[in-house]
This record gives sequence, structure tokens and C-alpha cells, in this order.
Amino acid sequence: MMSLFRIFRFACQDIVRNFSLSIMTVFILVLMLLSMNTIVAIRALTEEATRIVKEQIDVSIFFSHTATNEQIQEIRTVVTNFPETIGVTFYTSEEVLEQFRAQYQDSPDVITSLDELEENPLGPTMVVKTREPQDYQKIIDALQVPEYESIIEAKTFGDTEVTINRIEVITSQVERFSVALSTMFAVIAFLIIFNTIRVSIYTQRTEISIKKLVGATNWFVRGPYLVQAIFFTLFSIIIAGGLVFVGVQSLDPHVAVVFEKNNVLTNYFTSNILLLTIVQIVAVLLLTTVSSTLAMRKHLRV
Amino acid sequence: MIHLKNIHKSYSKKSVGVKDINLSIEAGEFVSIVGQSGTGKTTLVKLLIAEERPTKGVIEIGGWDISRIPNKHVPFLRRQIGVIFQDFKLLEKKTVHENVSFALQVAGESSRRIRDIVPRVLDIVGLTDKAHAYPHQLSGGQQQRVVIARSLVHRPKILVADEPTGNLDTLNSQEIMEILKKINDFGTTIILVTHDRDIVNQLGRRVVTIHNGTIVSDEKVGTYRLQ
Repeated sequence: MMSLFRIFRFACQDIVRNFSLSIMTVFILVLMLLSMNTIVAIRALTEEATRIVKEQIDVSIFFSHTATNEQIQEIRTVVTNFPETIGVTFYTSEEVLEQFRAQYQDSPDVITSLDELEENPLGPTMVVKTREPQDYQKIIDALQVPEYESIIEAKTFGDTEVTINRIEVITSQVERFSVALSTMFAVIAFLIIFNTIRVSIYTQRTEISIKKLVGATNWFVRGPYLVQAIFFTLFSIIIAGGLVFVGVQSLDPHVAVVFEKNNVLTNYFTSNILLLTIVQIVAVLLLTTVSSTLAMRKHLRV
Repeated sequence: MIHLKNIHKSYSKKSVGVKDINLSIEAGEFVSIVGQSGTGKTTLVKLLIAEERPTKGVIEIGGWDISRIPNKHVPFLRRQIGVIFQDFKLLEKKTVHENVSFALQVAGESSRRIRDIVPRVLDIVGLTDKAHAYPHQLSGGQQQRVVIARSLVHRPKILVADEPTGNLDTLNSQEIMEILKKINDFGTTIILVTHDRDIVNQLGRRVVTIHNGTIVSDEKVGTYRLQ
């Protein structure tokens, strides 16, 4: 207990007496954390962009006039039974006509042509939404059977397939890019932190050997450095956390213009705050303690 | 008290530190180990504080075989042997008081005991008024006295002084030697490693001469004979 208290006290003394070195270490750690959080923000924005685009994609099934309510209900059951389906909306012929009129209200030619027809030319329509864009193909395949040929006039998936595929490619490329970028940042950060701590310990190598020569155990020498590593981790997490908070607050108004949604980044960081904090604490703590342990190993052999 | 039997230390095939060293030192003795630079004197000190392990032979200190001492026991050995180094080896970022206290803190001594012992030891070496000074604010002689104070706090039975006057002028050297003689008078065994002819001759105590890593003479009351 006494030794623990002394180790803690020596750590505090060392932080104060090596103030510039302590500041530099915390500064480097903060930079590393800001890089990590930038990657997190980029991912959050990518996810949001992908989600918005995905939300706009659906499959419309246009039924023929001859389709009975039972047949339409049967297809609805088939589509709903897919685990991938998250929503099915049905529009009657009248609702579809209304929508059509609303859509072409600025095109008098189209509306006049429509009025000249005695009957409503548009059949009922079913709009299906799935979890992932690639799931639409399954639904299309299930409806691609001879018995439905006379009921279903058209499916709009063919029109959106190219868009969906492109989104898939973009999403996977962006994810791959952000993973590569995160890995690159992590490696660079590790090397910078490792070397900063190594230099810091190298400058104190004489002190370490003296401590050993007057009878200190390895743990008594190592202890203050580990406690310092914990302090540096906490300081850097708090500082970086504050900067990230200020950063997302000032970025959000600009993001809102693009996504037409407020507080995208703030909400993302707030809802993941626990996970992000734990991951960053563990990462920085591992980095600092492993670096200081490795850097000190050589100097402890006295 | 200290027995070195057939000690051999080599760093590589071509680099031999010491060879065939047989030496016994009794409790309370004041032994000067002399020799020119590079003859193995410092290797001998390093062997005594387990900074190095002998390639061959046995080193016994107070019946404790330290020749193959496990690393985890080394700190306990070092707390029982006081060591004075030529380059002082003081912690630059700690004050005089903190430097001396540190030797007790590593041994887990209570703060109360540390508050009791440190001022007394600083008084013995005449540095009470410098307790809150940092090493760089002291002269060479004062720094060496801090080292002596630090080595005394454990009340060691053995004090190894490796060239303690090597970086000091004549006046400071004399002061340090007086302190060492006083410590010896209280019963502590002193092993003085030096190549200072005047100091050895003035002492008039046992002199062990090392040349090329081997003991070439061991006199009860000796003088510095090397050129």
C-alpha cells in the first residue's frame, strides 16, 4: 500500500518535473485520437448518406386491371413473408391515378390525354421495401413465375437495379477505403506514440539505472511510468473528447444542409459515446503501457 | 565476510574482465583495490553488486552465494551493500533529501522512519542546509557526500566505493576519505577501488593490486606500487 502510494506520488512528481515532455506526449495522443475520431465521423457520414439513398429505393409492382383482390392479397402475403421485407404499401387504382395527376399537374397535355380516356388506365400498385438493396432481386425472382404473369403488368426494379448496384459498389469501396485509412492512421499513430514514449524513457535511462542500483525492484521503477501512462491516457481522452464535441457541433449545421437532417454527427457521437470512449481508452492505454514497458525493458537490465 | 573464489569474468573470447580472482575480506576491514585503468577494478565492483554475473567461480557475501543470484533478489542485495560511484549517480530531478529518501522508499520503509533517518545521515555528511537543493546546485564534493549519505541510510555492513575521489579536487578528496574512515571506525567494511596513489599511501591499510584482471599482490599494510 505504501509502495503504491509512493509510485503514485513519484508519477505525479515526474509529470510536473518533466512538464514539457508530458505536454508533448499528451499532445501526440490527442492528435492520434482526433485522427481516430475523424475516421469515425467520416464513417458516420458515409453510413448516413448510404442510408438516405437506400431509403429512396423500392420496388413497385404494378397490377393489371384484371387482377382480383384475392390474387393481389396472395402476392402481398408472398412478399410480406420474406424476412428481408420491411414494408409493403398498397395503393388502389384510384390512389394511383390521384398520384399520377399530382405528379403531372404541370403537364396539361398528359392530363388532357388522361381525361379523354373513359376508364382509369392505371391498375393498383404495391410498393415494397427491403432491408438491403440486394434483397430486391429475391422478391423479383419470387414473382417471376408464370402464374403471376397475367396479374403483374410491370416491376420497376429493372429501372433501379443499376442505381442499386452502383450504391453497393460505392458503399463497399468507401468502407474499404475507410478501413484502409483507419489502419494506416492506427499504424502511424502507434509508431509516433511508441517513439515519443521511447524517447521520453530514453532521456531518463540514467535515472532508471540509478534507481535499480540503489535497490529498487523493476516494479518500483516501472510503476510511475505506468501510472503516468494512465494519466496521459485520461488527459488526452478528455481533451480530445472536448475538441471532438466542439468540432461536431460546428460541423453539424453544414452537414444538415447536405442531408436535410439536424445534428447527424452529434447524434451519432452521443448515441455511441460509451463504446467510443471505452474503445479509445483501451486503445490508448494499451498503446502507452505496452510502449513504455517495451521501451523500458532494456534499461531495467542493470 | 566476503569471499571470491576462482572468479573469472569474460565478456567475449577476447575481452576478459577479471580472471582467477581469489580474495577474502573480513568484517570491519578497509581494503583498497588498486590498479591502472582497464585492469578489472570496476568489473569487480559490478560483480559485488550483481550488476554482472561471474563467468566462473563463486562470490559469497555474509554466507550468501550471489554468483548466480536470481534477478528478483538483486534489489535486496543492493539494499545491504552501500555503493559510492565516481560519477555520483544522483537522481537529477530529485532534491538531496529526496535522493537519500529514495533508497529507503524502495525498501518500503515507513515515512516516519524516513523522516527520522534522513536528517541524521545528512547531518553526518554535513549537508543539512542543502537538503532541498538539487544535485546540479551542489559542488562535486557535496554531490559525493550525498551519495555517501544515500549509501549509509540502510546501515550497510559493506560499503563499496568505486573511485569516489576520481572527479574531486584534493581538498574534497581528503574530506571524502575522512568520512569513509569514520564510517569504517563504526565497523562498516570498506572496499575502496582507486588508482589514486596518494590516497592509498596515506591510508596505510590493506592494499590489493590488480593487473590485467588478476591479483598481483595483497598486502596487509600496503602502498601503491604500480607505475
